[in-house]
Amino acid sequence: MKRNRLTAGLAVVGLALAVIAAAPFFATPGEAKSRKELVVDEQPGYVPTPEEEMLPAQYRPQPVFFRTNEPVGTIIVHTNERFLYLVQGNGQAIRYGIGVGRDGFQWQGLLKISRKQEWPDWRPPPEMIQRQPYLPRFMAGGPGNPMGARALYLGDTVYRIHGTNQPRTIGHAVSSGCFRLVNRDVIDLFARVPVGTKVVVRQSASL
Amino acid sequence: MMTRRLGRVAATTVATVLVAAGFATAAMASTLDTVKERGKLVCGVNQGLQGFAAPDAAGTWAGFDVDFCRAVAAAIFADPDKVDYVPLSAEERFPALADGRIDLLARNSTWTMGRETGLGLTFVGVTYYDGQGFLLSRSAGTFSSLELDGAKVCVLSGTTSEANLADYFTDNNMAYEAVLTDSPEATLTAYRSGDCNVVTSDMSQLYAQRLKLDDADEHLVLADAISKEPLGPVVRQDDARWATLVRWVYFAMLDAEELGIASDTVDAALASKKPDVRRFVGAEGGFGEQMGVADTWAVDVVRLVGNYGEIYERSLGEGSPLGIPRGMNQLWNRGGLQYAPPIR
Repeated sequence: MKRNRLTAGLAVVGLALAVIAAAPFFATPGEAKSRKELVVDEQPGYVPTPEEEMLPAQYRPQPVFFRTNEPVGTIIVHTNERFLYLVQGNGQAIRYGIGVGRDGFQWQGLLKISRKQEWPDWRPPPEMIQRQPYLPRFMAGGPGNPMGARALYLGDTVYRIHGTNQPRTIGHAVSSGCFRLVNRDVIDLFARVPVGTKVVVRQSASL
Repeated sequence: MMTRRLGRVAATTVATVLVAAGFATAAMASTLDTVKERGKLVCGVNQGLQGFAAPDAAGTWAGFDVDFCRAVAAAIFADPDKVDYVPLSAEERFPALADGRIDLLARNSTWTMGRETGLGLTFVGVTYYDGQGFLLSRSAGTFSSLELDGAKVCVLSGTTSEANLADYFTDNNMAYEAVLTDSPEATLTAYRSGDCNVVTSDMSQLYAQRLKLDDADEHLVLADAISKEPLGPVVRQDDARWATLVRWVYFAMLDAEELGIASDTVDAALASKKPDVRRFVGAEGGFGEQMGVADTWAVDVVRLVGNYGEIYERSLGEGSPLGIPRGMNQLWNRGGLQYAPPIR
C-alpha cells in the first residue's frame, strides 16, 4: 500500500515537472493581467535542489522604497505584483517574491498572525483531494512537505503565509495555497515577525 | 446651498478667464498648432542612455523617455511614430528647447528651481524619481545605508555625489573612506578589485553599472535615496496650453494604471460602466476637445504606447535588462510617490 502510493507519487512528480517545464518559469513582476494561472500539482515528498531555490534577483529579499502609513513591522501583500512587503519605517520595506494561490486572491483586507509553526503538517483540503485523489490525507511536517519550512497562520481563517517545496512557483498565480515563499525566505520572514503582526492584503483595481 | 451657488459663479468666472487666456495664447504661436501643421512632434532626447533613450541596431529609438515622446504623439495624432528625435548633449538640451528647435524635452533632466526661474522653462511633472544611492554586494547582508559605518565608498570626484556622500555620513555620525575615481569605468574597476566595497551615484546609474558586473544578481542597490533627483519632461514657459496637454498625457498614463487600464485591457475599458473609466476613455467629459485633441486621446496613449507601469517595466523595470524595482516610482496607493489628479 505504502509502496503503491510512493510509486504514484513519483509519477506525479514527473508529470508535475513536465507541466512546469512547459510553462515560462518566472513571469516578470509588475502588472499581472496577462499572466495565466500556473497549474501545478502538489509534489509531496519532492525536495528542491539549492539551485532551484536560487530565485531570479527580483524575487529575492531586498530593500525597496515603500511609502506607507502602516506601522513598522506590518506585512503588506500586493497579490498582483507577487510581492510581500515587511514595513521597515523610514520609507522602506524588505520585499519578498511570492507565489499567490487561489485562496490568496479571494480576499483583501486586514488580519493578524495568530500562530507561527515550524515545519507545519499538511492536510490537503477536500477540493485538492478531489483534483488529485492520490494525495496523502496527512503529511507530517519536514523537507518535501508542500507547506514548506514555516507557516504564519492568519487570524482564524484558512489563509496563511507558508514555505514551499516548489520554488519555481514563486512569481506566479498558482492553482492552490495562499501566499508561498521559498523556504529560505519564509524562514527569514518568520524570524522577523511575532504573533500579532498585522497583515494587509491588497488586490488591484478591476475594470 | 449658498456656498454651492457661489462656487458655481466662481467656476464660471474662472472658466471665462481661462478661455480668454486661451485666446491670448492662440494669438501667439501655439505649439500644438505648429506640431499639427508639421505633422510630427519634435522631441529632444538623450544621445544614448540605456533604458531612457537609445537607438537600437536598426536605428529605432527606444526607452522610457522615448516612450513619453511617443505617448504625446499618440495623444495628438493617434500615431506614436509621428516623432522626430533630436539627440542632445547635456549642454545643448535647454537652449534647444528655449530657441524652439524642439517642442518637448524628454531627456532625464532633473527638475530644479533655477532651471524654471532662470531659463524660462516648465517641468510638467516628475516622470521618474531618481536619487543618489548605494551599490554593494548582496553577501554583505546590509539592507539599510545606516549600516554602512566604516565603508570604503567609490565616488566620482568633483560631482554633487561626492558632496552628498560627505553630508550623509557626517549627518549620521558614520565613518567612511571616500575612494575618488575619475570615470564610471574606473569606479567599476576599483569595486571589482575590492578597493572599495560600496559605490555611490544616482540610482539609475548604479543599476546601469551593476549590469556590467559579471555576477550582477549578486549585487544590489539599497533603497535609501540620499538626494532628490526628480526627472521629468520640460516645455517652454510661454505656452501654458501645450504644457497642460503634455502634463495630462503623463497623468493619463498614471491614471490608466491605477484604474487597471493597460494596452491589453483597453477594449474592456471601453465597455466599462464605471464613471471614472468612462471619463478616461472619452465616453464622458469631452476633455480631449478642450485640449485641442480627439476625445479618445487617453485611449490612444494607452493602446499604442501603454500605461505608466507598462512603459516603466518595458525599459527600466525588473523584466528589462536594467532591472530597477518600481520603488519611488510605484503608484501612490502601492507604496510609491506617483500620484495623478483625476480626469474629471
